[in-house]
Amino acid sequence: MIYLDNAATSWPKPPAVARAVRDAITHSTGNPGRTSHRSSMDSAILIQECRENIAQLFAINNPLRICFTANTTDALNIAIKGVLAPGDHVICSSMEHNSIWRPLTALADLGVELSIAEADSSGVVSATTVERLLRPNTKLIAMLHASNVNGAIQPIAEIGMLARKHGITMLVDAAQSAGSIPIDVEAMHIDLLAFPGHKGLLGPQGTGGLYVRERVNLRPMKEGGTGSDSNSPHQPIYYPDRLESGTLNLPGIAGLNQSVRYLLQRGVAQIERHESKLTQHLLAGLLKINGVTVYGPPVGVPRTAVVSFNLREMDPVYVAAELEKRADIACRPGWHCAGLAHRTQGTQKTGTVRLSPGPFTKIKEIEIALSVIAELAGED
Amino acid sequence: MAHRLVVFASLNQVALVKRALQRNGVYAEMLRTPRCLLHTGCSFALRCLVEELTLLQEICSTYKIVPGGFFDDVEESIPTLDNELLDS
Repeated sequence: MIYLDNAATSWPKPPAVARAVRDAITHSTGNPGRTSHRSSMDSAILIQECRENIAQLFAINNPLRICFTANTTDALNIAIKGVLAPGDHVICSSMEHNSIWRPLTALADLGVELSIAEADSSGVVSATTVERLLRPNTKLIAMLHASNVNGAIQPIAEIGMLARKHGITMLVDAAQSAGSIPIDVEAMHIDLLAFPGHKGLLGPQGTGGLYVRERVNLRPMKEGGTGSDSNSPHQPIYYPDRLESGTLNLPGIAGLNQSVRYLLQRGVAQIERHESKLTQHLLAGLLKINGVTVYGPPVGVPRTAVVSFNLREMDPVYVAAELEKRADIACRPGWHCAGLAHRTQGTQKTGTVRLSPGPFTKIKEIEIALSVIAELAGED
Repeated sequence: MAHRLVVFASLNQVALVKRALQRNGVYAEMLRTPRCLLHTGCSFALRCLVEELTLLQEICSTYKIVPGGFFDDVEESIPTLDNELLDS
């Protein structure tokens, strides 16, 4: 299989990931925080090690401010619903994934004021556009770092600086950037960082996390057993216990720990260079094919490894099916769970075909994909 | 060698401090809080050498962790776990 669907979930994973998941299930793995036998304590140390590795990856100075979640959507909901209350104002971009757009729309029905900062034709929102939308009651800026539809990268450091200047909490959705482009929560002024474990971080599905800056305190979305202060009816005020009720996904976190170790060793900047080379090659090749429309930033402009295109009037689902039938190429057609972004780039009627290379994709595989697309274009 | 118990609110905090101590070449043992220390409201403890307490306090300060208390390492109190309070 030629796997070009890394924006949905990455594959393959570093071999150590599967070994760690297997070991976590095969060997005795106690429930961390619930008792004191060796197995339970070992689990706690493993989870702590993973927190520390993630902290290193994102330049987070206190690993206890990283809370594990099931995925990015989970983390974004915890962040958004933990900050906003009726009467507050929030700004997002017109490129958001449904994981921000839908929770904000739901809150807007309950009295939260929502403004959408319009992106330019390539999918980028400027800090100036965001600044124009600020109100005295603006409490949160919630924004994706990179688009899952067209790979456009938002100027998070500039927007984060704007948020800091006005005392507004800055939430970043790193679903498409974590592990693919460098992230530094200090340099980028990020207060809340939601990230998946199974995409650019190369870990198992069912993992993810939320970083919460020390000055930010969230209302927990759920309360329950944390293994701490068990005689109290109240949720602990300290992190990560405040947001981590219930038993964690230890096998998943064990795998994630290994994948993050792999990233630290290989270097996110190296992966960024590798993926950029593949993506620019893909873009240049697509633009040479008659009838192809490519969306997002132009050739040569930095973007993540996401390329969306359409082939004349062909249904993207048909194109994706033909890519699989003819050359066993896995990609994603349709709307990519991002209706707002498709409205912004004018593809809301049909969606697009999305190709997303990853850290292990080879240039030869990109060339095969291009040749099949050219063949399809010639048949129309 | 003289040891002390330093109690913390959660296992997450204990695990962080233990790993930070390890990186400094210091061994510490993680324990669930014995019955006699439960009045602190904390759950887990580290058992470490008395002479390492300054380093431990520095680590707590770095990560903004407030230890629940420092106790003499009474040998017989350590294995006395309060099973009624263990979570399921």
